[in-house]
Amino acid sequence: MPIYLYIERTGVLHRLHPAVKVMALFVMFWSVYWVDQPLALLPLGLLMLAAAQSAGAWPNFYRLRWLFIMVIIFTTLAWMIFYRRGPALVDLKIIHLSRASLLFGFGRGLKLAELLATSVLFLSTTKIEEFTLGLSTLGVPYRAGFAISLAFRLAPLFMDSAVTVYQAQSLRGYDFNRGGPLERIRRYVPVIIPVFMGALRKANATAMALEARGFGRISRPTSFIEYPIAARDVGAVIVLFAIGAIYFMIYYTGYGTIAVR
Amino acid sequence: MIIKPHTIAPAAPTVPAVSAEAIGFTYHGAERRALGAVSFVQARGETIGIIGASGAGKSTIVKCLNRIVPEFEGGEFRGSVCIGGRRLDGLRVSDIAGAVGMVFQDFEAQLFSTNVAHEVAFAMEQAGMSRDEMNARIGPALEAVGLAGFEHRDPTTLSGGEKQRLAIAAVLALGPDVIVMDEPTTDLDPEGKAEVFALIRELRARGLSLLVIEHETDELRACDRLMLIREGEIIADAPPADLLTRLELLEQCGVHPPDLNRVLAALGIAQHASDVDHAETLLRNLMPALPHGSSAPATSAAPHPLIAPDAAEQAERPLIEIEHLSFSYPGGPRVLDSVRLAIRPGEFLAIIGQNGSGKTTLAKQIVGLLKPESGRVLIGGRDRTTLRPAETAQQVGYVFQNPDHQIFAATVEDEVAFGPRNFGLSAEEVERRCAEVLSAVGLEGERDRDPFLLGKGERQRLAVASVLALRPRLLILDEPTTGLDYREQRRMMKLVSELNDAGIAIVIIAHTPWLVAAYARRVVLMRRGRLLFDGAVRDFFADEELLRGSSFRAPEVTALGRRFGVIALTAAELVAWLQEHR
Repeated sequence: MPIYLYIERTGVLHRLHPAVKVMALFVMFWSVYWVDQPLALLPLGLLMLAAAQSAGAWPNFYRLRWLFIMVIIFTTLAWMIFYRRGPALVDLKIIHLSRASLLFGFGRGLKLAELLATSVLFLSTTKIEEFTLGLSTLGVPYRAGFAISLAFRLAPLFMDSAVTVYQAQSLRGYDFNRGGPLERIRRYVPVIIPVFMGALRKANATAMALEARGFGRISRPTSFIEYPIAARDVGAVIVLFAIGAIYFMIYYTGYGTIAVR
Repeated sequence: MIIKPHTIAPAAPTVPAVSAEAIGFTYHGAERRALGAVSFVQARGETIGIIGASGAGKSTIVKCLNRIVPEFEGGEFRGSVCIGGRRLDGLRVSDIAGAVGMVFQDFEAQLFSTNVAHEVAFAMEQAGMSRDEMNARIGPALEAVGLAGFEHRDPTTLSGGEKQRLAIAAVLALGPDVIVMDEPTTDLDPEGKAEVFALIRELRARGLSLLVIEHETDELRACDRLMLIREGEIIADAPPADLLTRLELLEQCGVHPPDLNRVLAALGIAQHASDVDHAETLLRNLMPALPHGSSAPATSAAPHPLIAPDAAEQAERPLIEIEHLSFSYPGGPRVLDSVRLAIRPGEFLAIIGQNGSGKTTLAKQIVGLLKPESGRVLIGGRDRTTLRPAETAQQVGYVFQNPDHQIFAATVEDEVAFGPRNFGLSAEEVERRCAEVLSAVGLEGERDRDPFLLGKGERQRLAVASVLALRPRLLILDEPTTGLDYREQRRMMKLVSELNDAGIAIVIIAHTPWLVAAYARRVVLMRRGRLLFDGAVRDFFADEELLRGSSFRAPEVTALGRRFGVIALTAAELVAWLQEHR
């Protein structure tokens, strides 16, 4: 099973300049940030679904389908515990089930799911070299940009390592599901320590290999891949600015908030 | 002075590629120095093999050549290094990338890009080369390592051997004065190892200056010189023909002496065999009456105490029965295809095959980490899926390839006690088991030590101990000697043999031919999820056709024995046969 999300395609989203893709990531985060109302978040969700179709990213969304579902359900439930506004529809003790709490919780769940979807789309269409180039084109120092993009590449390896450690400890009779929520978190120490130590070793080995290949020798390395700015990039930037502005206006005019009745 | 890879003018042939003068190093916080005062000169076009036990200082020496020591790994550095006649004093590691190309053991940690061509270009980007120049260098570099046509492949989809060749291409593209390889084949399967060793020979033939750290001395016979390192000093620096006949010295330094030379020495021939042909010639000169033959039935071999079939063992009910087991990972091809296998109590079985052939997946099916798609696994006659984890753990223990995937406790004793405590054993019983298994693995004196401060070999033995503490009837070890030097490999396999003698059935997943030949009694060869062979180890090594198709090489002594019509699995066995026929 592939551990990275990038999907080799030649669609419009894939061919956008890396800087535009990074900008799109930022604009989507920005737009989602300003609104809580599920109805206002819906157009962004639909836009992402259309983008996923265009980019051929469905396999990645399918792989992560349970994560999306869990994020929406648990976030909705969690916020119904803490967001206690509006008259309760049913008395469920800890959970405050009101129209406002339901909308607010669902909105938060949708927000997180859309942030996740944006990231999945970005990683489905952007290679790590492009990520680095995109960040440095937007003014992020090369070393910092490379470190950020490398983290995305290494994260799946650490996840893979965590699964192996989990299996190793399970085979020694360790029960990860014993006790209450806090105890269960504490019980992951036998996984966290080996994964953390492994991550440190891997980071050290990678850093050494990078230096040995000349990383950091000059502040602005040249680029093997050529990314000329095309008309589609200009068009995409205009659309992105428009989306960002519209969502700020939705927030500013109050349409993005949940009305408590 | 910054060395610019694309502007390096070839130094005069008389200027050495490397000149190290009295280099010494002590790591921060270390009690003893890693290097004493090492001096050596490497001529241009020379290939030097560096051998020695783990911790002898081999890696520290080569890391001094591109200033990873002391720039990256801090400590007290003494002496000076010149590459191509230029002193490195004051340079950063990245400044030297164009002059010293370094290939590391961990191929995953040295590949950063998402396609092969870009991987080769990475170092050139860092050197500020133009796109045209990069394009001009990528093709020849990939061609040199046999990866032409792979330009658009994702490096993560390459085999281990291909990944390591890609790492070599990436350093070749810069045209360095010297290429350093630090145990480049440790993590590879036999096919990957063969690919990399063939490439090293080719690069040597093309006149490149190479420094290779390697545990497999057989593969270093083609070097111009070998340097033997012990406790941070060069103990010997000589051509392979001289050094590899000093068997006692090699053993003392924790290095595997070539088995061919061992055979010759046992028969009083104090000469170095450059290969099997050479060894055959030397033996026939001494014993002209030796028979000829390409192979012989296993029964003609000298009796081997390990292979005597145990009738009682054969009659006993299998501990593990695998019935028509098939499995695929989600969205992937079939990894196990209708596998049938029985493992009896007290057996010593080696599962071999290329990476991706299904060995580890099969082991994970046995211990219950994966569920069969079809078919089933019976443990002690009961369907594994009906057993509770504790019941499975008491029957089968699994030691992962990397001991660091399970070690987490603050002390060695706590690490071993972890399993028994999870199963709710009393404190007295936990204590009894800790004492028992720590003694069995030779770590009884290390009870209170932090496991993370142990050496790799000790951590591997600790991992075995922590699984043994559950007293399984079958122990599965996934490549238990990977990354260990010869001395540690022997120690680990001695431990495994003793456990087997004590009645524990052993399954090892292994890549090392001599280890399989010397210790296993039965071999299962896997390819693409199917069992290609299941039988006695001697029958396996007797079947030349099977070996040719399996990419698993017979040990050299086995190949040599075959020239005389005998299947010998170890040097001692061949020596015994030769002495009988003297």
